[in-house]
Amino acid sequence: MNHEEIGELAAAYALGGLEAEDRARFESLLRTGDPDAVAALRDFENTLADLAAAAPEPPPPAVKAALMERIAAAPPAARAPARPLPPSRRAIWPVVLSGAMAAGLAAIVVGWSVSSTYEKRLDALARDAEQLKADLQSQQTVIAILRDPATQVVALAGQAPAPTARARMMWHAKAGGVFVATGLPAAPEGKAYQLWAIAGTSAPVSAGVFSVDASGTGSLSVQPLPGVATVNAFAVTLEPAGGLPAPSGAMYLLGKS
Amino acid sequence: MSSAAASEETPALITRIAAGDRDAFSRFYDLLAPTAFGLIRRVLRDPEASADVLQEVFWQVWREAPQYDPKRGSPEAWLVMRAKTRAIDRLRSIRRRDRTFVAPVDESVARSSEAPAENPAVVAEDRGLVHTALAQLPEPQRRVIELAFFEGLTQSEIATRLGEPLGTVKTRARLGLERLRGALRGERLSAT
Repeated sequence: MNHEEIGELAAAYALGGLEAEDRARFESLLRTGDPDAVAALRDFENTLADLAAAAPEPPPPAVKAALMERIAAAPPAARAPARPLPPSRRAIWPVVLSGAMAAGLAAIVVGWSVSSTYEKRLDALARDAEQLKADLQSQQTVIAILRDPATQVVALAGQAPAPTARARMMWHAKAGGVFVATGLPAAPEGKAYQLWAIAGTSAPVSAGVFSVDASGTGSLSVQPLPGVATVNAFAVTLEPAGGLPAPSGAMYLLGKS
Repeated sequence: MSSAAASEETPALITRIAAGDRDAFSRFYDLLAPTAFGLIRRVLRDPEASADVLQEVFWQVWREAPQYDPKRGSPEAWLVMRAKTRAIDRLRSIRRRDRTFVAPVDESVARSSEAPAENPAVVAEDRGLVHTALAQLPEPQRRVIELAFFEGLTQSEIATRLGEPLGTVKTRARLGLERLRGALRGERLSAT
């Protein structure tokens, strides 16, 4: 490959418009550390960075506020590569991950079924892989919650309407939590399960609404609850779909922390 | 803030961010968020989607700072490439969504539906970009760079759009970037 050709590949790579085949060629050059390719790319990327720097725009202040809050809530452990979970908790992850994986697999199947736009599909796959990476990253954030010593693990037991139901809540006051339930009957038409956090003697606070699949399994990702520091108990009731501000229906699950 | 001034400080900041230093992250954000946001806005136009992408990009900085390799380029370039990639990913997913859920629309219509009140040409002018370095490029080279960098078109798509052979598009992209590099260097020299 001559100098000019490498320059063309580097330019298109930096600009972002390189076709899949050329991109693979150029990336293999980069991997082998080809000095021409590395230098040309660095040069062009710096040029584009300067171009962007010539047209700054002040971002809305809310973005920085949200970020600083987000990184403060991400325990430093999240920055280390994820280690395998202890066995007792591992069983829960297939449930949480399956949604993201199903989405990814569906995209792959769809991508490959259309051969006429093969190259575009490759691009789409690359983006789906990006999306999966992002999903994985968010799962790692959840794993970090689990590893934090401040995280409470609360087991919920089935109540009268569903004595064999079980659930587990992994709760971190600042970072939120993950809730997984099994053995619940499907909610009747127009109804949904609602999770409640009960702190001291104050009224239960809604932690979200969820539904269960055919196997009776449901999960819910819970955001931190404003004004709720220490939760004494979690409970699940059956409510009108969409949930209510205060519990009204039968209690299906209850667990004290 | 010029990029030349920032680049003295940013490599050390990245190292500190990699070690989990929140003050370093805050400083890095203050230095470079306006550059990233300017670029994202140029690509997406919609202010809310842009703010969203900006947050994703800097979240990625926090998570991936340990992987930054100074041999591959400056932190500014590292960040700008991330901002560009994320913004274009979002733009493509907006286009995909519009193709799926709306009757097939011309891309320009798909984009203008994102921000109906804004005329793209006016926005571009507001950004001040066209009056600086890009304006010094011959029109055909400028078009190729804009379509790739700000609109996320692949080289074949650009060739189709412009009715030019693929080889011509490739050459123009390289020549355009080379000339741009010269122009931006000249500007920085005259600014100091």
